[in-house]
Amino acid sequence: MNPGRRARRLLACGVLLVAAAVPAWTKGPASAAKVGEHIFRDGVLADGAPLRGHREGGPEVLGKDAACVNCHGRSGMGVVEGRIVIPPITAAALFHPGERLAPSAEHVHVLPTPPNRNAYTDETLARAIREGVNADGRTLDYAMPRYALDDASMQAVVAQLHQLSTGRTPGAVNDELNFATIITPDADPLARDAMLAVLREFFAQKNDFSRDDKAFITSGSVQRRFRVQRRWILHEWRLTGSPESWGRQLDQKLRTEPIFAVISGIGGANWAPVHEFCEHRAIPCLFPNVDLPVAAEGDFYPVYFSRGVLLEADLIAARLATREARPARVVQVFRKGDIGASAAIGLRSALEAGGVPVVDRALSPGDDDRALGSAAQTQAGDALVLWLRGNDLARLPPAAPAAASVLVSGLMGGEEAAPMPAAWREAMYMPYVYALPEERRVLLNFALGWFRARHIPVVNERVQVDTYIACSILAENLIATHGTFLRDFLVERVEAMIGTDMFRGNYKRLGLAPGQRFASKGGYFVRFTAPQGPAIAPDGNWMVP
Amino acid sequence: MKQAMKFVALAVALLAQGPVQAQAPAAAPQVRAADPVAAHHTRISDEIVQRTHVQVPLGQVQLVREDGMSVSLNDLLLMDRPAYVDFIYTTCTALCPIMSATFAALQDKLGAARDKVNLISISIDPEEDTPRRLREFRKKYDAGDEWHFYTGSLEQSIAAQRAFGVFTGDKMQHAPVTLFRAAPDAAWVRFDGFVTPEDLYRELPKPQAAVK
Repeated sequence: MNPGRRARRLLACGVLLVAAAVPAWTKGPASAAKVGEHIFRDGVLADGAPLRGHREGGPEVLGKDAACVNCHGRSGMGVVEGRIVIPPITAAALFHPGERLAPSAEHVHVLPTPPNRNAYTDETLARAIREGVNADGRTLDYAMPRYALDDASMQAVVAQLHQLSTGRTPGAVNDELNFATIITPDADPLARDAMLAVLREFFAQKNDFSRDDKAFITSGSVQRRFRVQRRWILHEWRLTGSPESWGRQLDQKLRTEPIFAVISGIGGANWAPVHEFCEHRAIPCLFPNVDLPVAAEGDFYPVYFSRGVLLEADLIAARLATREARPARVVQVFRKGDIGASAAIGLRSALEAGGVPVVDRALSPGDDDRALGSAAQTQAGDALVLWLRGNDLARLPPAAPAAASVLVSGLMGGEEAAPMPAAWREAMYMPYVYALPEERRVLLNFALGWFRARHIPVVNERVQVDTYIACSILAENLIATHGTFLRDFLVERVEAMIGTDMFRGNYKRLGLAPGQRFASKGGYFVRFTAPQGPAIAPDGNWMVP
Repeated sequence: MKQAMKFVALAVALLAQGPVQAQAPAAAPQVRAADPVAAHHTRISDEIVQRTHVQVPLGQVQLVREDGMSVSLNDLLLMDRPAYVDFIYTTCTALCPIMSATFAALQDKLGAARDKVNLISISIDPEEDTPRRLREFRKKYDAGDEWHFYTGSLEQSIAAQRAFGVFTGDKMQHAPVTLFRAAPDAAWVRFDGFVTPEDLYRELPKPQAAVK
């Protein structure tokens, strides 16, 4: 380190030390806690140096890899991984004596509880972090690194831990749990109503059930399980106007109707303003029905069932790259402003990286059948990719296309219900991001039976089943939080728990892990097997691009 | 009481194992065994590293290496060199980074001799861990030519996990397990718990270690 830099660093340290002469959290804790949060989440000290820790006999851990959040989670609630229990380090857990909750057959995903120990003081906590000795003088586990922290950084971390997951969570007060579902003005009205019917009924059932709980739940772990059965309230947030105004509208709605989380939502061409709302306002959002999600590495709060048309684009790119007969060129047709335009960008860059020339043909809103017909014109060596909705597909010219292969977006075109002209059906195949009909039949029976029992007409099976599954995932995860209604913790629970066979809806499987935000990761290609009707068969194996 | 007996049994077993535990750098295991109640309360049973001999019934398991090559696990293990195997996934935040860091430290420790061993890290989240992701992950740990990461279809990954007896049905339930075999005709050694690079290094046959 050069002398100047060292002097600056020492100076910075000095300033921090002076500032830290009084325990940082007792006075205006905001600034110290902010520094602490940076250490906690990113493993970066106030001067930009990486956080350093080491494990006995093991290698040093540095920076992001050493950050508290890796093991304890953003909420600080910890996690159970196999037989490894990472205890909570929220303010409530650290600064109060530990209390043990015995796991039982019924509590498989038992809430990680602090070990039976005394409350930490700021001093014993600093000792734990530096030397790995807990409040009672016992040695902490090997997995917990011992951190070399200067006093100022330690003050900051302790200040942050004093604040961690404290305070009431908006939307989860007075025995109520408030949720919103978000509907953009360009959502398909039928799909919207189909989704709402499921949500309303699910909430109604939830509340029917909880009304009686006091009557028969009296003691023990069962009581604990049902204590969290608060009244569920659904707010239907319908946006209006242009996408630029949606963020403002959502903020306004959040002020008047504080919610704990967002459950499902449905839109059209642009989901980005909703995604940004979730991320910026730190609200867990579970979206089963979004065909063009935002793929933002590092975002925490919005969770999707799949990458939608972006996944289709990757599947098509992988398929065309591995095909023996690589197309001479790829012609892709989409409508400006619709989700296919974004998928086309992804496909184009993937194909061009592999040396396949791509021709984009964009249709404008007013374009007629003739324009559609000429956009879909191809030559024998081409592959034609159609990012078009059903109403466009139905208006394609009746004659079979010249292109050797035609790929149609299943998500946009309606999968097996895609209204293709008869002559197109033989040449075409579709990316299919769901389980095959015969693979999902049995699992769908449960949701479909529930719809029947609750008198919900099935008008859009895909949307309704996935909405139902999203509700079930939410309900199951809230039970697993044992009444700890923290937004960050809900996201962490969803990360850990999504993926059991019960909850996969239309998908082959759903699964997440820390940092993963798209639960289903692959797809098939399918072809029609008959001149008409919805019968399809896979063309090749399940693939993960 | 039952718990306490279990721990006593475990402690005896550990002591009986001789070389590895006897050479352990710190006396940590004995300390832990002396306070079984504390260990029970924290429920961190993996604190004690268990070393056992196991059978690994390798069938025909095909995996995909991070460079996209399809590889037969059997062929890989028939190579006449010591092999270490662990199971990870790239988005795992708590356990796997410790295990991968241990492999990284082991290869540092091996120095030039590292080209005479195989380090095999198999993903238990193969659909997320595409070859591209594994390549990035491999870079992060500065893995040398002897250390490769493997993915494949979910079925292939499960077949590998089953063969090594580490399949739990859910990646969130996985445990820190490392396996070692000194040569294709040698017995498999299984470590349950967080082994140190030192623990792993000690397993190498003497001449191998002497290469350094």
